[in-house]
Amino acid sequence: MFSIRLGFKNLSRQKRRNIITIFVIAFAFFGYLFIESLFNGIEEMSFDNIKNFETGNIQIAHPAYWEEKDDLPLENLIIWNEDLKESLLQTSGVEGISPELRFSANLNNGIDEMGVIGVGIIPEYYNQVFQTQDYFIEGSLSALNENKAIIGARLAELMDLEIDDYIILLVRTKEDTFNTIDVEVGGVVNTLNPMMNTNTVLLPLSTVQQSLNVDDNVTMISLKTTEVPEENIIQSLESTFQGKELAIQAYSWQESAQGVVAFSEMKKGGVGAIMSVVLLIGMVGIINNVILSSLERTSEIGMMKALGMKEWEIVFVFMVEATGIGVLGGLTGCLLGYFGVNWMVNSGMSFKALYGDWLDWSQYGIPIVDRVYGAWNYSTFSYIFFLGVIVAILSSIIPAYWAANKDPVEAIYHR
Amino acid sequence: MPLLELKKVKKIYKQGKIDVPALRGIDMTVDEGEFTTIFGPSGSGKTTLLNMIGCLDTPTEGDIHLNGNKISDLSKKELAMTRRYNIGFIFQSYNLIPVLTAFENVEFAIRLIGNLSDKQMREKVLGMLKEVGLEGKENRRPGELSGGEKQRVAIARALIKKPKIILADEPTANLDSATAQDVIKIMIKMNEELGTTFIFSTHDPQVMEHARRFINLKDGTISSDKRGK
Repeated sequence: MFSIRLGFKNLSRQKRRNIITIFVIAFAFFGYLFIESLFNGIEEMSFDNIKNFETGNIQIAHPAYWEEKDDLPLENLIIWNEDLKESLLQTSGVEGISPELRFSANLNNGIDEMGVIGVGIIPEYYNQVFQTQDYFIEGSLSALNENKAIIGARLAELMDLEIDDYIILLVRTKEDTFNTIDVEVGGVVNTLNPMMNTNTVLLPLSTVQQSLNVDDNVTMISLKTTEVPEENIIQSLESTFQGKELAIQAYSWQESAQGVVAFSEMKKGGVGAIMSVVLLIGMVGIINNVILSSLERTSEIGMMKALGMKEWEIVFVFMVEATGIGVLGGLTGCLLGYFGVNWMVNSGMSFKALYGDWLDWSQYGIPIVDRVYGAWNYSTFSYIFFLGVIVAILSSIIPAYWAANKDPVEAIYHR
Repeated sequence: MPLLELKKVKKIYKQGKIDVPALRGIDMTVDEGEFTTIFGPSGSGKTTLLNMIGCLDTPTEGDIHLNGNKISDLSKKELAMTRRYNIGFIFQSYNLIPVLTAFENVEFAIRLIGNLSDKQMREKVLGMLKEVGLEGKENRRPGELSGGEKQRVAIARALIKKPKIILADEPTANLDSATAQDVIKIMIKMNEELGTTFIFSTHDPQVMEHARRFINLKDGTISSDKRGK
C-alpha cells in the first residue's frame, strides 16, 4: 500500500514532463477515437446509402443472373407476377417490395453520349423500399407515370440536362439488337448516394420491358425488411421459393455491397494500424518517462535498496507511477475523444471543404457524397482506455527493472 | 560474541584491466552498543568498509559475520532482507524522498518491516520524530526542512526499525558546526538509551570527540584501533 502511495505521489514530481507525456498519450487516444468514429460513420453511411438507394435489405434474383449481375445481362430474369408478389409480401418481416429491370445504356443528349445504368421501376413499389423520393431537386417520382425519366443531379450537370429536356437511351434488347428509348427528363434527384446521382436513369418498368423485349420479366426484386439482420427472412424466403419450385434466391444487401464491405475490411486494418501507432506512442512516452525518472532518482533508488527494498518492490513503485500516467492520459484522451466524436456525430465533416472536388469517394466504391458524420462506439472508449493502461504498465516494467537493478553503492553515491 | 566480525576482508575493484585494492585485509570486531568512528584520509577505504558492513557490497575475499550470521556470501535478495531488518543507514546527503513528508519518510522504513497496525505505526513514528526533536514538523516535506532537520529525519528513519547497527557515512559533513553538534547529541542519546550500535565514517573532530573507539584506516588497512573514555 505504501508503494502505491509513493508511486502516485511521484506523479507530482516533474509535473511539466508528466503533463506533456499525459497529453501526448491523450492526443494519441483522441486521434484514434476520432478516426475510428469517422471510419465507422463512413461505413454506417455507406451501408445506409446502399440500402436506401440501391439494394434495399434483400435482393431476389436468379442465381445465374446474380453471378453475372455486374455485366447487367438480360438473361436468367424473374417473372414478375401476382403470385410472386403475394408470396413476397406475405413473408413475415417484409415491409415493401420493388421489382426492377436493370440494363446498360448509352445516354445521348443530342451532343454528347455517356454510359449509364438504366433501371425500370414501378414508382408505387419503389417508394416502399427506397428513399429517393425525399431527394428530388426538381420534379417527383410520379413523373414516371407520365413515361418520363428521373436522372441524378450529377448526371444532369455532366450532360447539361434540365427538366423537360429530351434524352435518348441507346440499348440492346434481349435478342442483342439495338433499340432506343426516347424520354423526357421528368425529375432530377440529388441523393446521398453518388452512384445514384452520377450514372443512374430511372424509367417506367413497362417502358423498359417493352424496349428490351423481356415481357413481364425483371432482373431483380428489392425488399425492405423490418428485421435486421435479415438472415431469418432470407431463410423464410428460400423455403417459400423451394416450395413453389422457383429458381430464384434471396441475397442480403451485403452481397451487393462488396466495395463497402472491402472498405470495412480495409477499415479494420487501418484502425488496427492506427491502434498500433497510438499504443507505440503511449509506450515510448511511458518508457521515456520511467527512464528519465529513474536517472533523476538514482541516489533515491540506492537509498531504497539500502532500506532493504527488493528489486520488484522498486519496480512496483515505478509501475504505479506509469499506471497513473496511463490512467490520466487515457482519461484525458477519452474526454477529448468524447468532444471530438460528439462534434463528428452532430456536425460532421465536409470532404469537399477539405479536399475540394477532386476526391470522389464513389470512384473507390464508397457511396458517400460529401459530408461525413461520425458514429458512436462506446465500447471503443473503454477498450482503448484499458488497453492503454495495460500497455503503460507493461511498458514500464523493463525500464523500471533496469532502474531497480542498479548497483546500490553506485546508485547511492551517484552524482 | 561480537555483533560484527570481519576476517581478512579484501575488496578489489576492477578498472579496465587494472586491479585497484580498496581494502587490503581488514580484521576487526564491533560489540553491541559501541559508538565507533572510522577515520582516515580520502581514498583510505572508509566508505568501502561501511558498504561491506552494510551489506550494500560484498568483499572480494574474507568473511563478515553480523550477529553471528555470515553475510559475505549472501544472495542479493538475502542481503536486501539483512539490510531491511538489521541495518540502518544515515547518509551525508540525507537521501530523503522529496515528495514524502517527514512522517512518511520515517514511515517508509517501518512499513517495509510491516508488522504493526496503522495506529501502532503512527504512534511509533510520531514518538521517534519527537525523540529527534521534530515534533510538530512531521507534515513538512524535506524541501521545507533545514539541513539539520533533514538529517534528524534520516536518523529517525534509520532508528525506527530498531536495527542491530547504524552506519553513518559522514553524517555531519553537510551541516554547520552547531547543527552538527545537535545531530551528534541525538545519536549519542539514541546509542545510550536504545543501545544501538553506531559506526561512523567521518573527518569531523566533533564526532570523534564523542566516539569511544577510533579506527584509523590508511591505504585500505587498519593502521590503529584505539578505545577512548
